[in-house]
Amino acid sequence: MKIKKAGTTVVFEVITYALLAIGSIVCVFPFIIILSGSFTDNTTILTQGYSILPRDFTLSAYQTIFRAPRDILQAYKMTLYYTVVGTAVGLFMITLTGYVISRKEFKYRNQVSFLIYFTSIFGGGMIPWYLMYANVLNMKGSTFAIWFPALMSPFLVILMRTFIVGSVPDAITESAKIDGAGHFTIFIKIVMPVLKPGLATVGLFLALGYWNDWYRSSMFSTNSLTWELQFYLYDLLNATTALKQMTQGTGISTAQLPTESVKLAMAVVATGPILLLYPFVQKYFVSGITVGAVKG
Amino acid sequence: MKRRKLLSLFLVAAMVLTMAGCGGKSAADAMGEEQPDTAQTQEQEPETEGDAQEAAEGESSAAQPAELDTSERVDLVFYVMGDAPDDEQMVEDAINEILLEKVNATIDMQFSTWTDFQQKYSLELTAGSADLIYIANWLNYGQLATSGAFEELDDLLDTVAPVLKETVGETNLDMCRVEGKIYAVPCAWAEYVCNGIKYREDLREKYDLPVPDSLENLEAYLMGIKENDPNQGLLTVTTEESQGFLTGFDAAWVFNLKYPWVNANGLPYGLASDYDSPADVYDYWYSDDFAEDMKLMKKWADLGFWSKSALSDTNNSESYKNGLCVAEVAGQNPNKQITALQDFKNDGHDDWKSEYIAYGEITNTIYPGHATQNGTAVVRGSKNPERALKVLEILMTDEEVNRLVQYGIEGVHYEIDDQGIYHNLEPAHPTFAYEGFNTWALRNGEFKLPQETDIVLNEMFDKYEKLGEQTKFPNVNIYNGFSENYDAYQAERTAVSNVMKQYLAPLQAGLVDNVDAAVEEFRQKMTDAGIEICRDGFKEQWAAYCDEYGYK
Repeated sequence: MKIKKAGTTVVFEVITYALLAIGSIVCVFPFIIILSGSFTDNTTILTQGYSILPRDFTLSAYQTIFRAPRDILQAYKMTLYYTVVGTAVGLFMITLTGYVISRKEFKYRNQVSFLIYFTSIFGGGMIPWYLMYANVLNMKGSTFAIWFPALMSPFLVILMRTFIVGSVPDAITESAKIDGAGHFTIFIKIVMPVLKPGLATVGLFLALGYWNDWYRSSMFSTNSLTWELQFYLYDLLNATTALKQMTQGTGISTAQLPTESVKLAMAVVATGPILLLYPFVQKYFVSGITVGAVKG
Repeated sequence: MKRRKLLSLFLVAAMVLTMAGCGGKSAADAMGEEQPDTAQTQEQEPETEGDAQEAAEGESSAAQPAELDTSERVDLVFYVMGDAPDDEQMVEDAINEILLEKVNATIDMQFSTWTDFQQKYSLELTAGSADLIYIANWLNYGQLATSGAFEELDDLLDTVAPVLKETVGETNLDMCRVEGKIYAVPCAWAEYVCNGIKYREDLREKYDLPVPDSLENLEAYLMGIKENDPNQGLLTVTTEESQGFLTGFDAAWVFNLKYPWVNANGLPYGLASDYDSPADVYDYWYSDDFAEDMKLMKKWADLGFWSKSALSDTNNSESYKNGLCVAEVAGQNPNKQITALQDFKNDGHDDWKSEYIAYGEITNTIYPGHATQNGTAVVRGSKNPERALKVLEILMTDEEVNRLVQYGIEGVHYEIDDQGIYHNLEPAHPTFAYEGFNTWALRNGEFKLPQETDIVLNEMFDKYEKLGEQTKFPNVNIYNGFSENYDAYQAERTAVSNVMKQYLAPLQAGLVDNVDAAVEEFRQKMTDAGIEICRDGFKEQWAAYCDEYGYK
């Protein structure tokens, strides 16, 4: 039997779906342009502009990229490495920190929490940040400098703490303690299993952050072999524009610059795989966004 | 049910796309905010390194010519612009082998990449981790030198690097003086970057049209092509080459055919002065000439010389190469003409011919690039300034080392043919390209290997050099040695920039209904924006500059 909907509900749904549909079209449209542009002949792009379906279909842009795929594969490899290492270590540290400052028996938890929260509002600024890593810690040029600075984020620590407070009642840890469990056993055996959705969320945020980052490569890499994928792409575009402007003043040959369609194909190659991954992890994402929220 | 699933999948995809797109933004924003701080920190920086530096300076004044203490090995860092070549390490090893033997030093090239290079350049100076650094006027050489980012080289050049001093020449070094002190060593090769017009000689011949060497002839040239082939695009002018305070739209560059200005497009803020009397600044935007010129632009726009949407177009870089336009008037230089010749050949357009005519040829204002266009400085805070300068001397004046640093290893990266012309051995994907370290500042005319295309280029340069000798200031680039300090009128300057984009650009693109009314409106808005404050500030500094260097 079908439940009859009230008139207003139908109207509401129509409007909602319409708005969402328009929103999604706006989001998807640029990507379709990129995709179709990457399959279009470069001269066609220049003479006729972009179109939704590729005119003069060609695979030449992809052939150009994969003729010498070494650079892009290297960048992929490095980004995977940074993402995996950074997410694993970061998750570990954030969870531990969140757990410790959520424990009531930790005497200085307010002071420690304050130190963490404080940095989420007041930062030292870019120059001290740079000098710290480059001159004091001497990390410039190492791969360490790429993943280390992003391990802890105050926002994620707060998120984790809130999640632990909400899902691990004191009674559980207390009973474990009575049974003779130490802090570490409690954390590993009792707390961790309850935290799975929280871990997934924070892990996802971390992983996304690492995957999308280019700034730390820009600041600290001294060798193109250690570049992150996003930086590799970003620099490719920047090099093109910079060289074009530079030729006004100095004599540099512009013959080797990538063409429009190659740039678009690069974007597809770089974003494609992560896009395919999304549908499988999106449920954690949705739950993650509501994790820190106050439940009524 | 099924449809619902589809839709939700679609929505998820949409969300994913927005998320993926947002990633890098916050970092970029943060950088924008931080940038102004950079300059201040730089000024403070030398103090922190004070001790080391004082010690170094003490040494330098004591040192005698050619008696450099090289008993201790030092590893120097040379910071340059752009991206590293694949074979960076191989070439560095080869250079270091020689450097170790000669001065017991090694060198490591570090590259800025082209991402945020301005910011990273300042950071590098703040951090003080490099010893040698590339400098240029477009990297604010003047201002950085004033704020103490570089070592003074006057004495060091005499004591440590007399050969370098001789190679580069007194005149060139003098152009690098900031407040009377030398802070950088320019390259030893004069390059002519005279702006001009690049046009299609084959079409001109085909339709028997005049050479576009004046406004009338340019108009006739474009009209002639339009009449003979109505479908041919004429000019792809946009606002891309007109971003500063000189012009608002690329087509306005053609007025360099008419005025013998000291700099292409005159001076900032609608001022101008002639090459023969640089200090004699006059007004352009508020003059009758300007109103007349804008009428010409309107006429050309109405004739359809460029697109009606030119103001919002961006994609102009390859249109000449692909035959979508028959001339380029903005941001051109001899090197771009060479690139065009190459492009036509590579693309199989053998019957297409590109010609180049420099604005200065017509107005008799030819001059080479300024010395500060390419130079090398010793970073203040370097622990070994003498050794760094000595290494720079070797890099520039030792033929073997200079060849290595500029072109890589002979037989591996390049070869020289019978005529002494450079050929890269892997032209498709070079592991070390021509000037692969981007060390344009180490060019030495004596050792510079010509590329195939340089034959034409050198012919052009020879021609310009002769023309340049006949000007009042023979072969002197006056304008590019000047660096403006606009801290005092930053706000007005921003307002002026906005008015230029909003009112000057459409005016110069001829996309207004009534030119006289639009000119009046533009002038009114400029006055409101505070143009006078900018002009006063600029004029004062410019007069001081002309005075200092004797440009009367």
